[in-house]
Amino acid sequence: MDVSGVLEAHKQKFKSVSVEGKVIPVEYDLGLLAAYDQNPVDEAELKKNKEEYLHSLSRDNAQLLFNEIFQLQTISDDNGVMAILPAPTTLLPREKPLPKPKPETRWEKFAKAKGIVNRKKERMVYDDATGEYKPRWGYKGINDDGSKDWIIEVPAGANPMEDQYEARREAKKERIERNEKRRQRNMEEAAVATKMDQKAVNKGDRPNMDNARSLKRKEIESQILISKNSTASAGKFDEAIKGDLKPKGIKRQFAPTVTDLSKEKAGNMSILDRVVGKNGEDLVNVRKAIKATKRQ
Amino acid sequence: MLRTITPRNARVKRVLKNREAKTEENIKTAIFIRGSQTSQIVNDALSDLYMLKKPYAINFTKKNQIHPFEDQSNLQFFSQKNDASLFVIGTHSKKRPHTLTFARMFDHQLLDMIEVSIEQGTAMKDFKTPKSAIGMKPCFMFNGDMWDQNPSYIMFKSMLLDFYHGQTVDKVALAGLEYVISVTAGPMTSEGKPGKIYLRTYTISLKRSGVKLPRIELVEMGPSLDMTFGRIMEAKPDVWKQSLRVPKELKPKKKKNITKDEMGDTVGRIHLGKQDFDKIQTRKMKGLKKRTAEDKDDASTDKKQRVDDSDDEE
Repeated sequence: MDVSGVLEAHKQKFKSVSVEGKVIPVEYDLGLLAAYDQNPVDEAELKKNKEEYLHSLSRDNAQLLFNEIFQLQTISDDNGVMAILPAPTTLLPREKPLPKPKPETRWEKFAKAKGIVNRKKERMVYDDATGEYKPRWGYKGINDDGSKDWIIEVPAGANPMEDQYEARREAKKERIERNEKRRQRNMEEAAVATKMDQKAVNKGDRPNMDNARSLKRKEIESQILISKNSTASAGKFDEAIKGDLKPKGIKRQFAPTVTDLSKEKAGNMSILDRVVGKNGEDLVNVRKAIKATKRQ
Repeated sequence: MLRTITPRNARVKRVLKNREAKTEENIKTAIFIRGSQTSQIVNDALSDLYMLKKPYAINFTKKNQIHPFEDQSNLQFFSQKNDASLFVIGTHSKKRPHTLTFARMFDHQLLDMIEVSIEQGTAMKDFKTPKSAIGMKPCFMFNGDMWDQNPSYIMFKSMLLDFYHGQTVDKVALAGLEYVISVTAGPMTSEGKPGKIYLRTYTISLKRSGVKLPRIELVEMGPSLDMTFGRIMEAKPDVWKQSLRVPKELKPKKKKNITKDEMGDTVGRIHLGKQDFDKIQTRKMKGLKKRTAEDKDDASTDKKQRVDDSDDEE
């Protein structure tokens, strides 16, 4: 039996899904649902009947794009049939730079060296005293450190008049304080390391924390030296403190007694220009200077 | 200058956390701004572009003294305040009539900017046709041979994709593909300058075609804009490079020993390990059959028995 006639008739009923006349094949970026048709536009047609031409061109390209999309692998979901898209190939800029990696804390560094791995602990633990499950820490937690005990034994050698409840509270407060100090130190060291190791940070890696401590020390020293020079006399009349920091690597330079005259002149002129020239206003407080000379 | 906010409650903390740099970024928000003077054409275009970008869009309805090519401080402020990184600024003046400026920010600093003048525009409301639902993912079409050649075209294409592509997803509902944005680059002018570009927006209807693939029909929904390019500000190369960085987590993992050759065929390299010659199958022959220790034992006892048998007979 020849069914080609029937098939042909069936085909005639519908419009075709194929598109002809594309000399350069259309490129797709299915990750963005985009089609790039590099074929030159028909100028004459565009001039003559613009809207129809644009409509038919868009329809053809939409057809091609949909042919590609419908050939992708699909899965059925609550939202209907979903096509699995490949990753986009067109690069689009980000909105914000890459997230900065967190620098290592001292504990993390130590744990890594020792091979200590963080184990997951349950949040709720069984409390023997009450027979209930209670949070490991926090509100109504079990780590209240016995400050809720109704009676406390006085430790051997302790002052019997001392309030043991108070002592426990104090101890806890101290621990919290110490922890806060460590946190602060970690943050300071991290800031220095991040500043010094911009190369790694820009790449998205953790900054090198190996000598964060010495870097921080250096930074503090340089700040001290700056502050020493920040008095009205630029540190000239400050009393020397024993064991205080001395600026390193500063050498006095003396110009030779006999030089090229033009060089000397240029140098002096530049100083003069900076003080009284066009840009000199920032350098010298003119009002103050006049006052000072008048007083003399 | 914006004051830095220190979160005092969990809600603010969450919002601020959402604004931080992330590996997988939020959908970019766009702000639509009217300049000090606008025309009806510009207003219509802005509101239509806003409708297409919704819900990731903020519409500024009041006029703003804003000249993006002269002073960018306003844009930076708006970007920080609203956590937005895309802008469309509509202005109208004698020198530059019906102008839209598309701007993009990176890290709240201006990245690049392109200006287009609307020569002819028809608003969405002037088409009495069905519209797509709000927040649907559009399909894009860039027709013409100019889109990869001229900086204006390249930037406009990138800008449009950036504005409307929404979230990068790995799967898409086929029924949710409702409209296309089709941009056609007209021929260059006789002086060799960029010619007109035609932006059209159509809704899609899928028709039966007798085969598995559907027949596509398009109905214009608007906006329809004929534009020419104006001024352009390209991104600084180093900032551009930084903005294109892909975080390590999102980079596709390299698969070992699988390559693609020039023909696009996948070629794999397989390591078989060391071959065990003892187990190799050669031609079967009785003489080469390996005999185990047990076999040998059996053979010797057989012989003995036979000897015994013969003794009995005698």
